[in-house]
Amino acid sequence: MKQRDLELLSSYLDGQLSPSDATRLEARLLVEPDLRSVLRDLRSARSMLRQLPMRKAPRSFKLTPKMVGKNPPLPRAYPAFRFTSALATIMLFISMGLNFIRPQLATAQPAFGMGGGGAPDTFSAESAPAAEMPAATEAPLEEPSIAAIPQATMTIEGQEDTARVVETPTNKEGETENAIGGGLDQPPAQRVDTVPVVRPVWQWLLAGIAVVSAFIMAMMRQLSINRWRKKN
Amino acid sequence: MNELALINDAQKGDLDAFNTLILHYQDSVYNTALRILGDDDLAADATQDAFISAFKSINSFRGGSFKAWLMRTVTNACYDEIRRQKRRPTTPLEPDTDDGEEMDSPRWLADPSMTPDQKAEADELEHAIQHCLNNLPVDFKTVVVMADLQGMDYTEVAVAAHVPLGTIKSRLARARLRLRECLQGFEELLPSVFRLEEESTA
Repeated sequence: MKQRDLELLSSYLDGQLSPSDATRLEARLLVEPDLRSVLRDLRSARSMLRQLPMRKAPRSFKLTPKMVGKNPPLPRAYPAFRFTSALATIMLFISMGLNFIRPQLATAQPAFGMGGGGAPDTFSAESAPAAEMPAATEAPLEEPSIAAIPQATMTIEGQEDTARVVETPTNKEGETENAIGGGLDQPPAQRVDTVPVVRPVWQWLLAGIAVVSAFIMAMMRQLSINRWRKKN
Repeated sequence: MNELALINDAQKGDLDAFNTLILHYQDSVYNTALRILGDDDLAADATQDAFISAFKSINSFRGGSFKAWLMRTVTNACYDEIRRQKRRPTTPLEPDTDDGEEMDSPRWLADPSMTPDQKAEADELEHAIQHCLNNLPVDFKTVVVMADLQGMDYTEVAVAAHVPLGTIKSRLARARLRLRECLQGFEELLPSVFRLEEESTA
């Protein structure tokens, strides 16, 4: 039996032949017993298969959200809180970093006027009169911070310092060098640098925003999951 | 059941709509898997996998016969299962008779509505056909199951099997002939069926 004839017979059984092909095949079937025999075999096989019972599914194959990895729908405000929490956290870390770096930068770059504690050799009253002027103007600014230090500490350790700080604007060259580069006490300008870039109150505020937003997010998520579980 | 609306909803992620489609097609899908794999438990696993896979890729359905698309998914799941079986061959848990031989028709498969004779005949017929199906190459088996058991037309089978129409015709013809040859070995077991067939073709 040719493969082509076998396919023709099988298609003929299923009514898949064109009318002209079907007519031609029927004419051949009348005169070719082998062809008839094969057609009978094919029909027999097909009818046997069709007698196979259709089994009922042994259980329901319905899918649950867990099966398809579906997550509960979150409220629309959820991404906003997530963004707020993340932003507040990042800003908090940046502020902490800035407050940490600021004093170190100040000591590393003393010539920028904020510190005023440059190397004694490079500064003199004649060569840098302008550099002395800010020191003179800074002194009054420093007074409130120094005054804020408790009196007890001032009397024990800081008495000489205070005297020097007050004297700084009027000091001559050598005295200035002593006050700045003497190394006995911390120069007054460095105390100014300890004032943080971002005040603690802002840091607390950022931390609060981050924590509250994260808490609201967690609550929203939990409520959504509970509602979703009840529904499913 | 508005199939198109349910498919549209399922494509938007509506699991309830897809579950309605599952309830409608689960018998067909399960039977296809059962005849390709020849094992109830494997067929159930393949059916479940096929539905999960179908839901996840429902957006790839672009119209046409949804049944053919589903059959393609279950066929792929069956092929995966066959590959797994080849890697990790297992022993079937068919009960043994008193002689220590494997029981062909376990009691738990019995249908209480049938008389013992009817049940025996149906079991024999089903087992004989399944035995012959199991002897076919998997590509042939898939085509013959979809065309003759599920009653799908050639175009649907071509979509489901992802092969050209000519290949479907060729595989179906050869599969039927091989099945007939195989079933001739069971002629004594299944006299009534063959007698009826012989009479109808005479």
